[in-house]
Amino acid sequence: MDVRRIFPALDRQIYGKPLIYFDNAATAQRPQAVLDLQQRLCVEACGNVHRAVHKLGADATDYYEAGREAARSYLHAPARENIVITSGTTASINLAATCFCQRFVRKGDRILISEAEHHSNIVPWQLACERHGATLEVLPVDELGEIAVESLDQRLRKAEGRIKLVAITHISNVLGVVNPVEEVIAVAHKYDVPVLLDGAQGIVHEQVDVQALDCDFYAFSGHKVYAPTGVGILYGKKRWLEAMPPYMGGGEMIESVSFEKTTYAPLPLKFEAGTPNFVAAACLAPALETARLLAEDPALQENQRTMRDYLLEELPRIEGLRIYGLPRDPARKIPLISFAVEGAFPSDLAQILDKMGIAVRTGHMCAEPLLHRYGQTSLLRASLAPYNTLAECESFVTALHRAVQMLR
Amino acid sequence: MKTIQEIQADIVEEFAVFTDWMDKYEYLIELGKSMPLIEEKDKTESNLIRGCQSRVWLSCREEDGHLYFAADSDAIITKGIISLLLKVYDGQTPEAILAADEGFIEQIGLKENLSPTRANGLVSMIQTIKGYAAAWRVGAKAPGQPSAEGEQAAAKNELEADIVVALRQVYDPEIPVNIYDLGLIYDIQADADGQVFIKMTLTAPNCPIADDVVAQVREAVQDVPGVKDVQVELVFEPEWTTDRMSEEAKLELGML
Ligand SMILES: Cc1ncc(COP(=O)(O)O)c(C=O)c1O
Repeated sequence: MDVRRIFPALDRQIYGKPLIYFDNAATAQRPQAVLDLQQRLCVEACGNVHRAVHKLGADATDYYEAGREAARSYLHAPARENIVITSGTTASINLAATCFCQRFVRKGDRILISEAEHHSNIVPWQLACERHGATLEVLPVDELGEIAVESLDQRLRKAEGRIKLVAITHISNVLGVVNPVEEVIAVAHKYDVPVLLDGAQGIVHEQVDVQALDCDFYAFSGHKVYAPTGVGILYGKKRWLEAMPPYMGGGEMIESVSFEKTTYAPLPLKFEAGTPNFVAAACLAPALETARLLAEDPALQENQRTMRDYLLEELPRIEGLRIYGLPRDPARKIPLISFAVEGAFPSDLAQILDKMGIAVRTGHMCAEPLLHRYGQTSLLRASLAPYNTLAECESFVTALHRAVQMLR
Repeated sequence: MKTIQEIQADIVEEFAVFTDWMDKYEYLIELGKSMPLIEEKDKTESNLIRGCQSRVWLSCREEDGHLYFAADSDAIITKGIISLLLKVYDGQTPEAILAADEGFIEQIGLKENLSPTRANGLVSMIQTIKGYAAAWRVGAKAPGQPSAEGEQAAAKNELEADIVVALRQVYDPEIPVNIYDLGLIYDIQADADGQVFIKMTLTAPNCPIADDVVAQVREAVQDVPGVKDVQVELVFEPEWTTDRMSEEAKLELGML
């Protein structure tokens, strides 16, 4: 597969240099199939979903539902009812946190998260806990970036039912380590505690089967798996989604409305108030199809491992460079590498790299508590996609050497 | 001493020789490395300006009507740009600083560093510098007596200047201008022991959120290092009028 050809953005020049896009964990580039559908829908099916009798509206609804079906199938979810379309991971987690806690969390209860969470999997729980007099409990990560899964059993046992939910990232956006989520879920379920997985990165790098995993919720964003921004998914088991109250009120989510009593639409529309970003949602179909093709191409998968291993070997040759997130089992590391270099501040490096055409991420990466745990305020992250090349990695390493030299 | 415009013009000229980005950065890095640092003791939480990319510290001292700044950042390019800004502001009068604009940064091709999304603390740093300038503006009324022309209570010492900077972070919930520039602060007295007295008013005597605003003022001032005790007196005499607003506040609200 000529993967570079299907992502037109990769051809760009930045400040006269060929673009090297290494910020895929923030937002991935979009394939031609997504761009085409996006454009076509804006022209051919710009009508409101689930409301109109006319052809445009009916087509829009079909495409929207096809996006949902693509997500269902990609996650191996049992039914359409399990798939709530949102605007992104953040929206999905906020929905889950608000509605789950509303129904199931009372004063003195606790929600367990890990130290390696993105702010999107911290703050919604904090807000919900505050509303219900509950508190957040944090599962630590070790020096290597692995969560203390071995302490989970004891923690849940000691909590005696006060921990109402475990919310944990499938793969940290800073550490790039695949968490042992199977084990987390198994242990939590032993105590009848549901588990939400933040799949913003997991969806990109793992073959997710929510039924095999047996997770209770799974959240992800379209824009990290080659879809446009503004769409995300919350997978939930029916038993939870049915018990949870609606999130926002408005159009679409109702069955009948009167001033005395409103009844709600059945799942999943109960959680989808208002006109959704149906173009982006529809684009989940070609985007996830692309993700599947990339994941099933052995050469591309090999390429990802090669690039990862190359960077893990070459980067530490820079004096004073430390990588955060080096799991004991190297197979659990995705091609996402965050690091700090002594005497060269991340944002300085990134500004210089930018002028060489290289896009990387720096800062606290929306995971301040995690950076704090490692005594850092800022890291530099290179996150790769299957369309990146070993040659780009080589250029990156050379450019990084030069940038470090300039700063020291 | 050169005016702000002259210094800015010099910097623009200096940068004109760089044709390559790397040369520009090399130069900024050199500047950043050679910039006199803020003293370690001044690297306090209250002098810290947080951005999501890097942190910036800034302190200010007044001498004979001129302001002198010291700063630092953990990012060296940011530090280089700070050193350019300080070249421009250091030793100037509060009035000149308040009147200055930072257009030269764009002219030397570093505009992106000043866009709010860069989140590197530079934008807030400029706001803080202007906050100090507002605090030390000369011609403000004598202490203890709100002037008829409706000028703001000005700082008489560094603690009071820090207090003004803190007060400029407090907003009337209904007006997008901080309470200091609105002219709600009639008097600030801070003595060497950290005893602070603030006399203030509100835009309307029956303001329903009076308690909130007073509590916010107390909290903001209490957080200023060196402050031990804060007393806030709320008065409605003399009555507040829009004349008491600073020029910037009037501009902000479209009254000029
Ligand atoms: C692990 C993780 N969780 C949550 C998010 C939030 O995703 P979004 O901003 O698309 O809602 C991200 C992306 O930045 C992420 O990497």
